[in-house]
Amino acid sequence: MTILRNLRFALNSAWQSFWRNLAVSLAAVVSITLILILAGVNLLVGHAFSQVLDGFREKVSEMSINVADDTPLTSVYAFQQQLQGDPRVATVRFVTKEEALAEFVRDPNNAVLSQQIQGNPLDAKLEVRVRSLSDVAAVDSMARQWPGVDPTDPTNYQGEFVTRMLQLSQWLGFAGIGLMTILVIVSIVIVMNTIRTAVYHRRKEIEVMKLVGATEWFVRGPFVLEGIMTGVIAAAIALSLLVIAYPPVVSRFSADITFIPLTYDPTFISSLARDLLVGGALLGALGSYIGVRRFVRL
Amino acid sequence: MLLERLEASRLELLGRLSYTAGDLAQRARRRLTSQQKTQLMVLTPDFTARPVISFQHVWKRYPTGTEALRDVNLVVPEGDFVFLVGPSGAGKSTLVRLLIREEKPTKGKIFVEGVELGRMKRRQLPFYRRKVGLVFQDFKLLPNLTIYENVAFALRVHGQPDAFIRTRVAEALDTVGLSGKELTYPANLSGGEQQRVAIARALVHAPSMIIADEPTGNLDPATAWEIMQLFMRINARGATVVMATHNREIVDLLRRRVVAIDAGQIARDDRSGRYHDDSSKPQIRAQ
Ligand SMILES: Nc1ncnc2c1ncn2[C@@H]1O[C@H](COP(=O)(O)OP(=O)(O)OP(=O)(O)O)[C@@H](O)[C@H]1O
Ligand SMILES: [Mg+2]
Repeated sequence: MTILRNLRFALNSAWQSFWRNLAVSLAAVVSITLILILAGVNLLVGHAFSQVLDGFREKVSEMSINVADDTPLTSVYAFQQQLQGDPRVATVRFVTKEEALAEFVRDPNNAVLSQQIQGNPLDAKLEVRVRSLSDVAAVDSMARQWPGVDPTDPTNYQGEFVTRMLQLSQWLGFAGIGLMTILVIVSIVIVMNTIRTAVYHRRKEIEVMKLVGATEWFVRGPFVLEGIMTGVIAAAIALSLLVIAYPPVVSRFSADITFIPLTYDPTFISSLARDLLVGGALLGALGSYIGVRRFVRL
Repeated sequence: MLLERLEASRLELLGRLSYTAGDLAQRARRRLTSQQKTQLMVLTPDFTARPVISFQHVWKRYPTGTEALRDVNLVVPEGDFVFLVGPSGAGKSTLVRLLIREEKPTKGKIFVEGVELGRMKRRQLPFYRRKVGLVFQDFKLLPNLTIYENVAFALRVHGQPDAFIRTRVAEALDTVGLSGKELTYPANLSGGEQQRVAIARALVHAPSMIIADEPTGNLDPATAWEIMQLFMRINARGATVVMATHNREIVDLLRRRVVAIDAGQIARDDRSGRYHDDSSKPQIRAQ
């Protein structure tokens, strides 16, 4: 009961303080909104990139091992058995020369080329799906050591490309974290200074509160709530703007740059909403907590 | 080092013991007739009641190097009325600040109701302050709150329910004679009335101790006298009152206990004293 009454007191104070210093409060809301938009864009880009990367991963983790024409079928089966027993391998499928050609001809992209094909230049192949992207290289080198492999064109694995992709995603991850750290620090500093203004306006009240026996949390409460209010309002605005802008930007992007398979992902909106609102509230709480620390001490 | 430790534990034991002894004495006192009580009071004033406040070899040096209090020893029994007098800069406000633990002593110990203030955790401090009512020269009212809300403020801070707050605030405003001014703002009151509001706020949570630092400093003599009578009435109801003041007329008129501080030391402690020591050094009188 006492807790509820104290909460009511804190909410009242926070609300009044927010409106009393409206100019400062709004400045803070606008700044935090801009920061959260940046953070949201960062999250969205990160998500889009991981979506794209997942597509690549899917392709890259599927590898075909080309079988030399003179390899006996028993040797191919033995190798297939060996691969299937390997814990790193998810599935193995044997595709004969004929099936490979049929697949090739069926693909509309190869329509012109398949007209000119004489006989069957394609290899039989083992299509291997590797469980983890990081194991593809090892499976590839194992396949290359197998005597039955086609020496002129052993596998379709492009090690260079995969390592590049992995590196790029790692760098983008670091950059994202770095950007987020900067944004977090900047917004905490903004909230801190806003709350300092509020503290300045209410220094007399704080003094009296302490003298009549307020606990530190009682003094701190209104300011922390004001910080949370600022953060949540800013997050709500940022979120609305991002939700409105997300679909048209994606469709524009995927129309212009077709080779990157970017799609609108409505399920991401809910996780974005959670991240922004919780993040805004936490930033506000933390900024104001730090902002009043010195003035709260009994 | 060992000696210091020994001395420290001796002092602490003394603080606790004197509190317990006072407690026993108090219980014994309840069985006495009022006439016997009065005799006892006259004979041994300091040992019959519980010592609510006890300063033991208290020193206070501010970070600036000012030695504001030097070896202060002071025992205030429950229900006492103490005037702290002395020239400007003597250390009266410092003593008050130590008493509400706005400051900590550099050396020595302060016991209030048997608890050593220096040992009290920051977490416990608010609850200690709730036992005390504070009144200052500058009233410290909140200008944007009504009189009602100013008085209610202390109870709101303590998290009390609205119904309780209503009855208590009404009582407190009645005590200080300001019923009917609930919805007024401090700016619309005279200095004397503002100080009454501050006193109502100091009273509203029924503290056992009222500490006032020059409460009449900003008031004209007639108003000061009214405010002082208010304090006397509060004291008569049982609250211990410690008041720093420069008001010579009132101190001389009331003839209560006077603790004179000079240059950080207790120069005089009279049971029913005057503002100036008229017996030994009449030449200091600054009239
Ligand atoms: N916060 C402080 N920091 C440093 N020195 C202080 C501080 N407060 C008081 N002093 C010094 O300590 C001494 C005692 O001051 P104090 O305020 O206790 O005097 P006082 O008896 O209350 O005087 P007055 O009658 O003018 O109110 C003075 O020399 C003063 O300058
Ligand atoms: Mg003073």
